Parts: sequence; C-alpha cells; structure tokens
Amino acid sequence: MVSASKKAMSREWRLFKNLERSVSTAEGLAVDDALPRSVAGHGSSPILHLYTFIPSVIVGKYQDIKAALRLDRCRARGVEYNRRSTGGGTVIMGPEIVALGLGINVDYPGLRKGVGGVFESLSRVLIRALDHVGIRARFQPKNDLEVNGRKIAGLSAAAEADTSLLFHTSLLVDFDIPLMTDIMNTPAIKLADKGYNCFSQRMTTVRAELGRDFGIAEMMFAIQKAFEEEFGIAFQEDSPDEWEQDVVRRLIKERYTREEWIFSHRHPRARMGVGRLKTRAGLLEIYLSLSGGSIEHVLITGDFFSTSKDLHRIENTLKWTSARRESIEANITSVWHDDMIYGLDISTLTEAILLAKQNQVRL
Amino acid sequence: MAVIKGYNMPDDLYYHEEHSWARVEGAKVTVGMTDMFQKEAGDIVFVDLPEEEDEVSQGETCGKIQSRKWIGKLVAPVSGEIAEVNEELEEDTSLINSDPYGKGWILVIEAEDEDQLQTELKDLIHGDAVSAFIDREIAKTEEERAKAEQE
Repeated sequence: MVSASKKAMSREWRLFKNLERSVSTAEGLAVDDALPRSVAGHGSSPILHLYTFIPSVIVGKYQDIKAALRLDRCRARGVEYNRRSTGGGTVIMGPEIVALGLGINVDYPGLRKGVGGVFESLSRVLIRALDHVGIRARFQPKNDLEVNGRKIAGLSAAAEADTSLLFHTSLLVDFDIPLMTDIMNTPAIKLADKGYNCFSQRMTTVRAELGRDFGIAEMMFAIQKAFEEEFGIAFQEDSPDEWEQDVVRRLIKERYTREEWIFSHRHPRARMGVGRLKTRAGLLEIYLSLSGGSIEHVLITGDFFSTSKDLHRIENTLKWTSARRESIEANITSVWHDDMIYGLDISTLTEAILLAKQNQVRL
Repeated sequence: MAVIKGYNMPDDLYYHEEHSWARVEGAKVTVGMTDMFQKEAGDIVFVDLPEEEDEVSQGETCGKIQSRKWIGKLVAPVSGEIAEVNEELEEDTSLINSDPYGKGWILVIEAEDEDQLQTELKDLIHGDAVSAFIDREIAKTEEERAKAEQE
C-alpha cells in the first residue's frame, strides 16, 4: 500500500472534469473544498477539477457580500450568489467561464514556495494553456492574468488542512459585462455608461482575443495539457469516491446552502468613495472600494490622456494593498513611467485617491 | 535584535515552522507573524481571529490571514486559552507589515500549565536554530526557482 504522503506527491493526478452540465455554486464550491481535504486526509494524489457554474456570482471568503453585490438584482435575474473559501474579490461565473479548483500539497515538486511562488507556478500553467490556443497572456503580480493589459483570468488560493492548498481560477471564455455592471455594487456602476466603458476596457475573453467561437471543452483540454507539461505528470480521469462524496454532501448542507456562511459577518468594514480633482492634466475621478484598511478595487477615470493598459497597471498595483498615503505613493512609484497619465505626477494622483478615501461612505 | 539574511528575527522569541512567533512572559505568550512571513506575503488585508477564552492547542490553526488573494494560516505556537486579541488590527492590518513584533502582535495565549508550556517551547525554534530555519526556508524557495528556470 502506498502511503498518503507518497500519493500526495504522485506523478499521476486525478482529473474531475465536468462537461455534462453547469453546476450550482453549492455543488461546485463543495467539490473544490473536498480536494485539499482529500489530499491531506484521504491519501489522494493532487486533484484538478474543471467545470462550469450556472449563472452566478461568488465573493471571496472575507468580503462583505451585501456591500459587494446588489442582491435584489441577482435575485431578479436569477443569478445565484455564494461565498467561496479562498481569498480575493467578486467573480462572475457562468456556463462560458471555466472554473478550476486544484487540491495539492504545498511541497509538491515543481510548485514554487510561498504566496507569490504558488501564484506564479500556477499562472505559468494557465499562460501555457492560453498559449496552446493562440493567446499570449502574462502574469500580473497581483494575481491576475492579462492579455495586452486586460484581465482574462483571476486567481485565488487558501492554505488548508495540513500542508494542502486549494487554488481557484476563473478563466473567461466569454463574458457578460452588462450583467456584471448590473449586479455588482461597484461605485463606478452608478455611472452606468462610464462603468460599462471602464470594465470593457479592462477585461477580455478567449473568444474576443481569438475573434471566433471557441468551445469550453477545448479550453479545458488545453488547461489539462498545460498541467501535464508544466509538472511532468499524467491525468487519470476520475470522479469523487465515496469518502469525497460524503465530504461534498456535508459541505453543501453545512456550509454552501447556509445563510450563516453566505452572509458571514467575519469581514472587514467595506466602504466606497469617489474623489474628484481638477488637475493640469484634466479632471481626475477616482472610484475606490475599501475593505478594512486595504484597497479592494480602484478605478481611475477622467478626461486626461493615458492608455487603458497603463491605467489598469496602476489600478492593479494598488489592489489589495494598504490605503495609507505612503503605501499608495510607493506602489504607484513602483510602476510609474514618464507621462503615464499625461501632465500628471504621482503626488497629485495620490491626492485624488486619498480624496476618494476621505469621501468614503460605509456600506 | 538579530537580522538573518535580511529578515529581522529577534533573539528572545520562539518560532513555529509555520512562521508564528511567541514572546513568553510568565504564563502569558504574545503571538504574531514573523518578518519573513510578512515580507513574503505582502500587504495583509484581513485577519480572522479566534474569540477570547477559546482554547487552542500547539500546532492548531487558530486564525486565518489574508494577503492579496491568498488565505494563510495562523498556527498557535503553544497551547492555552486566548486571553486577548489585538483589536487595533481590525482597523489597520498593515501593522503586521509595518511592525510585526510590536504593534502588529496578533493575540495573547495564556498557558494553563507552565510545565507543559516549558515542554512545548522546546518544540519551537529558538536561539542558534533560528538561522538554520531561515536558511531552510530560503533554500526551499530557491530550489524551486532554480528548477523552474532550468525547464
């Protein structure tokens, strides 16, 4: 008999691939949570779960769901909402978005160590998968994958039982921006036309990049192949065994269908604010969402000259960092180049962001 | 104050392999996360802490720490009862980054049995062993980086 730890390091991984139907948020998230548990406590080799959700929206473990979403709009549109067990912000999911869950031991050979290392290793897999279908993506160190400055996939993770890890990804094959602007409670959304524009310039999809129809099954196959190449492993198609099915049933019942979990109150205070500042470069309008003392979301808009790629770069470097002046200034400085926003300097941009912070309202 | 390979690792503290530290004052043990952890993790955005009076055991995950989109574990370095949690972190989690051994302390565990505490401290990393611990942690990261670059 092979010991649990040896299996956790096995070169033969299990693949749970679901192409038959899109699943509910409770089912998809419960299966994902079962993956690291099985690796840590049931002697499983690493497990990759590839699937799609029914139209839904999922917030990060420590987000304030009522602040993040317009729940009335979700209900009216029949969009399910839930909370995942990994970090990060709101993601829209649906039949045209590949959902990926991976349960793996943190010491698995080839998986880089530490927070940054894990994200970088798994980004390499997804970059390779996108390359297989003809899309050149790059890793944005704040945990997103981008194509020409536009987000195509979001990544998040959580350290779980023992030394196992759950890694989540959503990869956009197609995406409904009007749906997103309708159900998300981002301040920019309040300016519907502007909000729409902001997001469409900051996101892209596999179909938009390829300029043609592209199937979910093809994308899943490319991901599977990229994992095999990157880690030098082979997949065995499989499905949850009895022990795992039992864990899934329990998680659905005790976590993902319970209001205590979905509306959990263990989250930082959420606030939003708008900062308007007339500058030499033009009018600057900053939309800021704060999560405790950290920036969860920032949009830089106005009538200045810049490129969406540069604006996205600044916004991304500020995401999930401290909203203190010195931190904002240091982070902008780390990506800044001359005329990134024509006629504007770092301290003026910082002022506008701090103005949005001052104008914040509690949600 | 010892700086090992660029990481501040005060001499008087005890360290758990999962990067929590313990400062022992009688039966009271103040707990936080190491400088190496905060540098690696980046900006801490949220801490999910146990309630005061909760019982924890050495090695048990007693809290969660989110940085970027990663949720990491706060592992109790010793057993006992949660006597206090740092409420200032509720407003400003960046204290863990800016002052990991001072204002960024996370909680205080009160050991119920001092003999057991002394035994548990022997299982933690302390004194001369700290430097080897940091070397091992750096080596792990570098090995994987070297492998990734070779491919």
